[in-house]
Amino acid sequence: MHIAEGVLSAPVLIGGATIATAGTAIGLKKIEYQDMPKIAVLSSAFFVASLIHIPVGPASAHLILNGLCGIILGWASFPALLLALFLQAILFQFGGLTALGVNTTTMATSAVFCFLIFGKLTRVSNQTVNFIGGFLCGFLSVLIAGLFVAVSLTLSGEVFIPVAKMIVIVHIPIMVIEGILTGFVVLFLKKVQPELLENYVQ
Amino acid sequence: MKSKNLIMLLILFSVVALGHKINIFATVEGNQIYTQSYASDGGKVKGGTIEVYDKAGNKLLTGKTDSLGEYSFTIPKKDDLKIVVLGGMGHRAETIVPAEDLPEVVVPKGEKTQVKPKKEPVQSPLIATAEIDTMVIRKMIEDALDRKLHPVMRMLAEQKKEKVKFTEVIGGIGYIFGIIGIFAFFMGKKKNV
Repeated sequence: MHIAEGVLSAPVLIGGATIATAGTAIGLKKIEYQDMPKIAVLSSAFFVASLIHIPVGPASAHLILNGLCGIILGWASFPALLLALFLQAILFQFGGLTALGVNTTTMATSAVFCFLIFGKLTRVSNQTVNFIGGFLCGFLSVLIAGLFVAVSLTLSGEVFIPVAKMIVIVHIPIMVIEGILTGFVVLFLKKVQPELLENYVQ
Repeated sequence: MKSKNLIMLLILFSVVALGHKINIFATVEGNQIYTQSYASDGGKVKGGTIEVYDKAGNKLLTGKTDSLGEYSFTIPKKDDLKIVVLGGMGHRAETIVPAEDLPEVVVPKGEKTQVKPKKEPVQSPLIATAEIDTMVIRKMIEDALDRKLHPVMRMLAEQKKEKVKFTEVIGGIGYIFGIIGIFAFFMGKKKNV
């Protein structure tokens, strides 16, 4: 879902950069000193997740982990994902540098959105609800990110419905795997490190 | 029915599930340009759109890559050719074949490339054959070389695949921790003051 250099039109790039800057500013303002270690860990997790390709049938897929970042980091997802995407762009040319703003917006906005809506579910004291909350965050973050990519491609001249359909269909397996994984991570953290889910950046 | 849908889905998935980056490799073979497009994880770009532009930015031709991510086309013009591959979903790569890599005489599209041996009068067989020979032989050598080199070029394209290196991954993680560490340092400083 990384958009390459030279695909999007200038207004879309500028719009993406503006949203990313605003989100990053909000995130940076809300970060407390004690949040730093988990931001570093999740930023790295996101950075690595996109590089590890897991064969699924004849193709290969990879995790995105933006939903998990959203649950644990909240608004701090913006600076965390911006940093990881920046390094992916300069080290591996995954996504263009000019498209960095759009890519950050795509990944982080969906993460923060899911966190604001379903984040509460991960903090109640019921394991089933926790799992569902985690699943929804993982699943929907990928779905919404995909729709964002479709919208930005549409604004740059492609037709929305076929593009959106293709992106969503391709990512269905990833959404499901990501949802289940995020659900289990939430359950695990709830058991061993519950404060990680409490001290999110609101 | 269900399994059929699943197979369809898998096929579609394999067509478009690329890595994050696609690459294109192009070589000149006779009056053709052979291109191969592949993703950073080694997968081929199947059914990707190839667009060829000249130096001035005019689109000369478009085409689709086959199941091996390959596409060959007749050189439309002796100029710096920019070949762009669009893999869908925001994937794009380009490469430039400089004019000096292209053969001197570019045969326009549709025209047969075969060199017809001229029928010369029988009186001067020696001079005639000498003249034709250089042309025919050159053509034959070029054809043979192209045929022989094709697999080599393909291997080169395969080798050129830029895969993610472990050291770079570790380096990237190091950068993340370093940058956030610097932030934390300054935040901590402010807090103490």
